[in-house]
Amino acid sequence: MYKCKEIIELTSQNMETSLPWYTRMEMKAHYLMCKTCNRYAQQLQFMNKALGVFEGHVPTENCQLSDDAKQRIAKKMCQVKETAE
Amino acid sequence: MAQQIKTAPENWLSEYGDILYRYALIRVRSEATAEDLVQETLLAGLQAVERFSGKSTVRTWLISILKHKIIDHFRKNRHEITVLNDDETAEDVLAYQFDQQGNWKINLIEWGTPEKSMDNEQFWVAFNECLSRLPQRMADLLLLRAVDGLATEECCELLGFDTDNQLWVTLSRTRVKLRQCLETNWFSKE
Repeated sequence: MYKCKEIIELTSQNMETSLPWYTRMEMKAHYLMCKTCNRYAQQLQFMNKALGVFEGHVPTENCQLSDDAKQRIAKKMCQVKETAE
Repeated sequence: MAQQIKTAPENWLSEYGDILYRYALIRVRSEATAEDLVQETLLAGLQAVERFSGKSTVRTWLISILKHKIIDHFRKNRHEITVLNDDETAEDVLAYQFDQQGNWKINLIEWGTPEKSMDNEQFWVAFNECLSRLPQRMADLLLLRAVDGLATEECCELLGFDTDNQLWVTLSRTRVKLRQCLETNWFSKE
């Protein structure tokens, strides 16, 4: 019988590798009995979903390229364009 | 085809520069490195513009180039990776959540339908904030695995884990920390 602390580690590991069927059975049985671990597993699933799309929601407030960097990059882009033409 | 690009390359920097920069900064946590990565990305985009199929948006396309540049950055700099933060074991979070027998000490609050939060830009501010609070190597690991889908073996090699098991334990603790942060900074305030 796994403890809750072990179940949450297996819950994460289960997202990384295929665990043996008997371990997965035991986890399922544990989730049925333990509301907190069940909730934890669902929240981890949601976090994975959010990680999958977070690059589409990158906030840029208060965090912008400096004018210096912009000028430097623009100059480089011009150089590359000119060589290509 | 190039003519399908709605945003002309001369506007990339003004349109997408800040987004690329912010994404790079989340991943590498160094302003100078993030600036270099934005530059490399835009230059690579410029050189590959003929191959852009127009199937995705320019923004998505540039971010995918940036993601490759970030992985290259990790590959080039792997010898520099050191564990800077002994907080990485997350024992504090585990001790807060579990008693000595390994049973929960706290109640996890109900997140309801968390997918609804994904439409709220403020949620993403909190999400990014929580990612930035993770110790560097933990964040690197989580994002290389869950976002970039890099193989476990390569993550071990890039981030200096000796065994798969060590990596899994760290990943689990990273998720514990991120979950706790999201709960404190978003779901308990909703």
